[in-house]
Amino acid sequence: MAATWPVLPQLVVYSKETLNDEPTMQLRTDVTTRAEQVAYLAGALDGLYAGPAIPSPIRGGRRAALRRLRAFDARGYARTRNDVAKRGVSVLSPYLRHGVLTLAEVRDSILSRFGHTPDTEKFVNELAWRAFWQLVYAQLGDRIQHDLEPAKHRSRAPRRQLPPEVAAASTGLVCIDESLRELYTTGYMHNHARMWVAAYLQHWLGVDWREGAELFYRHLLDGDPASNSLSWQWVGSTFSHKPYIFNRHNVERFSDGAFCARCPLAAGGCPFDDSYENLAQRLFGVSLAELEGRR
Amino acid sequence: MSSAIVWLHGDSLSPTDPALLANPAAPAIFVFDEPFLAAAQLSFKRLFFLYECALEAIAGRTGSIRRGVVVEEVRAFAAEQQATAVHVTASVAPRFRQYVAELRAAGLQVVMHEPPAFVTWRGEPPRRFSAFWRRVAAEALRPTGTGPVLPAEHEVE
Repeated sequence: MAATWPVLPQLVVYSKETLNDEPTMQLRTDVTTRAEQVAYLAGALDGLYAGPAIPSPIRGGRRAALRRLRAFDARGYARTRNDVAKRGVSVLSPYLRHGVLTLAEVRDSILSRFGHTPDTEKFVNELAWRAFWQLVYAQLGDRIQHDLEPAKHRSRAPRRQLPPEVAAASTGLVCIDESLRELYTTGYMHNHARMWVAAYLQHWLGVDWREGAELFYRHLLDGDPASNSLSWQWVGSTFSHKPYIFNRHNVERFSDGAFCARCPLAAGGCPFDDSYENLAQRLFGVSLAELEGRR
Repeated sequence: MSSAIVWLHGDSLSPTDPALLANPAAPAIFVFDEPFLAAAQLSFKRLFFLYECALEAIAGRTGSIRRGVVVEEVRAFAAEQQATAVHVTASVAPRFRQYVAELRAAGLQVVMHEPPAFVTWRGEPPRRFSAFWRRVAAEALRPTGTGPVLPAEHEVE
């Protein structure tokens, strides 16, 4: 199924021919440098991945996880966590997703180092989101890959497949393209940027959430069926009470204005440059109050 | 001769995996799930991240990292190690449950270990996070001492 999604145009999908009737393949565990490990694994797993054999700057393993946990300063988290430029986030999600760190030990570490503050409470609240998604996944299994509820409002944009500009990070919208480029090159995307991209794809472009979720899942180091698909459904309102939308003011505020300063559409044609009231009308044909379920 | 092996998977790929900690001398295996990955076509970044995690997880014991059909490779590894029991840490993923069922159907004893809980929860979750948070906030914000303590700086460098 994944093979039908567009890939970055410059990327090669490796041949699957080699998969047939291979004997057991033991992978080496004695390759020492990271560069040698990359070169080795690129060949050893040939056919099992798409795109170039380039590793993320985010390292796997418990030692790297503990380094990142130690480096994370929770002070100011409540204020800076949504800021794509200030980067108040911990980037612990790849380790939490793969059980390299547990939610419990991260919670314990943060509370013992920074005490009970609004910042640490917000951080633990974010950890709880993962626990919540996992409980829903435990209950529903693969049903999370289908609409869990009817959409509360549907975008008026005609349904379309994931456009090639998204796969190529060349939509012309700097906030979207930079976020996608971060995803494609590092395997990570800031949470707030994930919300922008997910809302843009679903509500502005009319892309089905499953296609967006699949794109994210293929690239994210923290790609988890539950967190990923359920977050896309949260944005789309099939697992929340309203669709999530954003506007240019939100992008500017949470990116230090950096994206818009470089965006050719900043002077005119930005699809996000509107009030929430007008966006509700444009995208969904309803008032903001209706969109938010207030009447 | 060992009587048990540890099967590591992508939801618990750490030297602190509970199944590993419960079996400090047991051989361990991680398998790149060939049919799944061939279909999913994930980016190399993800697979390399898993490889780095797996290398650290098996360091210091008899370990094997393979590509193939997970259940077949785990069975083969158990046979090589003359083990009749497979210790593994639980995951909520449907594919995991299916593999456990297949291993049991193949005659292996599967011993399940639970990851440390973030909060205790019984029954179905609510449909909204806000309702979940209201019920777990007090417990979530109370340290439990579960999980290893963050080591001193010199130990993580």
